[in-house]
Amino acid sequence: MSKILQVKDLELSFHTFAGEVKAIRGVNFDLNKGETLAIVGESGSGKSVTTKSIMRLLPESSSEFKNGEILFDGKDLTKLPEREMQKIRGKDISMIFQDPMTSLNPTMTIGKQIMEPILKHQKVSKAKARKVAIELLNMVGIPNAENRYKMYPHQFSGGQRQRIVIATALACNPQILIADEPTTALDVTIQAQILELMKDIQKKIDTSIIFITHDLGVVANVADRVAVMYGGMIVEIGTVDEIFYNPQHPYTWGLLSSMPSMDVNEEKLYAIPGTPPDLLNPPKGDAFALRSEYALKIDMEQPPPFFRVSDTHYAATWLLHPQAPQVEPPSGIIERMRTFPGSRYYEATGGRA
Amino acid sequence: MSDVLLEVKNLKQYFNEGKPSEVRAIDDISFSINRGETFGLVGESGCGKSTTGRTIIRLYDATDGEVLFNGINVQDKKSKAGNKDFNRKMQMIFQDPYASLNPRMKVMDIIAEGIDNNGLAKSKKERKEKVISLLETVGLNREHAERYPHEFSGGQRQRIGIARALAVDPEFIIADEPISALDVSIQAQVVNLLKDLQEERGLTYLFIAHDLSMVKYISDRIGVMYFGKLVEMAPADELYRNPMHAYTKSLLSAIPLPDPIYERSRVRTPYNPKDHNYGSDEHVEFREIAPEHFVLCSDKEFEEMKKNHVPKES
Repeated sequence: MSKILQVKDLELSFHTFAGEVKAIRGVNFDLNKGETLAIVGESGSGKSVTTKSIMRLLPESSSEFKNGEILFDGKDLTKLPEREMQKIRGKDISMIFQDPMTSLNPTMTIGKQIMEPILKHQKVSKAKARKVAIELLNMVGIPNAENRYKMYPHQFSGGQRQRIVIATALACNPQILIADEPTTALDVTIQAQILELMKDIQKKIDTSIIFITHDLGVVANVADRVAVMYGGMIVEIGTVDEIFYNPQHPYTWGLLSSMPSMDVNEEKLYAIPGTPPDLLNPPKGDAFALRSEYALKIDMEQPPPFFRVSDTHYAATWLLHPQAPQVEPPSGIIERMRTFPGSRYYEATGGRA
Repeated sequence: MSDVLLEVKNLKQYFNEGKPSEVRAIDDISFSINRGETFGLVGESGCGKSTTGRTIIRLYDATDGEVLFNGINVQDKKSKAGNKDFNRKMQMIFQDPYASLNPRMKVMDIIAEGIDNNGLAKSKKERKEKVISLLETVGLNREHAERYPHEFSGGQRQRIGIARALAVDPEFIIADEPISALDVSIQAQVVNLLKDLQEERGLTYLFIAHDLSMVKYISDRIGVMYFGKLVEMAPADELYRNPMHAYTKSLLSAIPLPDPIYERSRVRTPYNPKDHNYGSDEHVEFREIAPEHFVLCSDKEFEEMKKNHVPKES
C-alpha cells in the first residue's frame, strides 16, 4: 500500500498568556491510499489540532511547529509558504467540519459555495463548474438538485447541510479528506445515512479519509485503522480489529469499558477517574498514569516508548515491556480479547499467544 | 403499581396555533412516572422530547392536557408560595454546561441562588456549608466555590449544574440531554453520579436523550417519540428485546456499536411513516401489547404485533 501522508515526530505548541501549551507532543502516523484512519480521544487530546495542523488552519500568531514534519506529495507542509498551501487546501486535502450549521455561508446559495473551490483550483468555465456542482449534489443524495442548487443553507435540514458540506469538500476530488466529528451534531438515524454516504463515496473516488471522533461505535463502523490519542500523543495505533479486540493500552481499555453494552445489564458503568492532563505542565512520565489503576512506578518518571504488538499494532505503555508484571485487563476487555486470534486470552489457544 | 409522582395526560403543545405555520410539537401524549424511577425519553431532534420536558416544568404553557405532579396540576394558577414550593420540587439540568451557568457569577452564588430564593439557609455560614456539602456530593471540592464557570471543564460544569439542581432538595429532576456535550469518559462519570444520587436521595428522573445506549443503561422505562407523538413505551429491557413499532426498530438499527465485526454486517432498516398505510377508517391509538409495553398502532397491526411478541424467558 502506498503512503499518501506521513506525519513524523510532530510537536506543536500554542503560546497563551498562561504560558506554552504543548498541544501535540510527538505524533507519528502514516496514511495509506484509500484507507480510513480514525483518530479517537477526548477533548483536549490533540486530535483536532493534529488535523488542523495538516491543513495549516491554526493561527500563525499563536501556534508554533516545534519539531517534526508532515510529508505530502514530497513536500513538508509545516514549512510550505501560505501561497503554496492555498493550492493544496481544498484541492488535494479538504475538510468536513463538525457543525453543518456554521460551516456554510448563510448568505450564499449552496450552488455557489460548491462551485467556489472548482473555480478557484481548476481552469473551467462557470457553466462547467455549475454542471459539476449539480453532479456532486446528486452524488451526495440531494434530490431535485437542478432546482435546489439555487437555495440557501437555511432551507435545508441538518443532515442535508452536512451532505452539502461533503459535496463542497469533494468538489476537486481530493486525495485526502479530513472529517472532524462530521456526525456528532446529527441524530443517530441521520448519522447512519451520512456514514453510509461517506463510505460509498470513498469507494467511488478512492480517497483517503482521516476521521476524527470520540464515538467508538462510529469508529467501529467506518475505520480501517485507529489511532488513540491522549494528552497530545498517540498512545495506541492498529487496525480496527486490533484496537477493539486486542487493546493493550489502559486508556483504550478505559474508553472501551465506559461504553454501556446493549445486551448486558451492568450495575455500574466503568468510568475513567479524574480529568485529562494539563498540557501547560504536561506530566513527566506517562500522561495517563495518574488516572490509571495499572500505572507502574516507571510511568511516573519516564514516558513509555512504542512497543510492537504486531506489524500493524503499536502501543505506548510500559505494561508491554518484557520485565513488566502481567496485569489483568478489565473483564469486558478480556471478553473482547477472547475472540481475537493472537491475543493472550484467545480461547482456542488457551491463553497462549 | 407503585406510587405515581408525575402524570402527563393528553398533553398538547402547539406553537403558532391557528396560523399556517402551526407546529404540533407535542400532539396528545400521555405517560406517568413513578416515584424513584428513571423515565427515558428518546427520539430524533425536533420530535418534541425537549418540549415535553419544558412543558412539564412549565417553561411553556401547554395548549391542552394536564400535567399532574403529586396530584396537583402544574399548569394551574397558584399562589406565590405555592409556585415557589412547586419550583423547589421540580428542577432541571440542561444540555449545554457552557450556556447554562452564568459566567459572571461565582460557583458559590450559582449554587446558592435556589437556597436564597427559598430561604433554606438561616445564616451566611449555613449557606456556605450547604454549598460546600453539595460540591462534595457531586465530586468537586470546597476550593471550587470561589471560582467562576470558565475555570472548569465541561464535565465539572455539568457537575455544578447538578449541584445547583440538588440545592433545593427536589423530588423530581428533568435532565435534558445532560451528557450529550461531554466526552465518553466523562459521560460515564456523570451518569454514575446521577445514579448514585438517585439511590441516596430517592430522586425521580425524566432523562431526555438521543443516545439510546446510555438511555437504556440509566432508565427503568423508556418512551420513544416521533413527530410529537409517543410511538412506543416499555420497560428498558423489553424495548430493546422486543421493539415493536417500525420507528423504534429503525432507531435501534441505526446505533453504531463498538464492535467492528457486528458493524460490518449491520443492516439499517429505514423508517418511512407511509409504510403503515393506515386507512381512513382505521383507529390508530396507543395500545398495550404486553404488560406495560405500549405501542401506537392500528387494529390490524395490534393483532400482528401480539403474535410476534416474544415473551420474556424466565
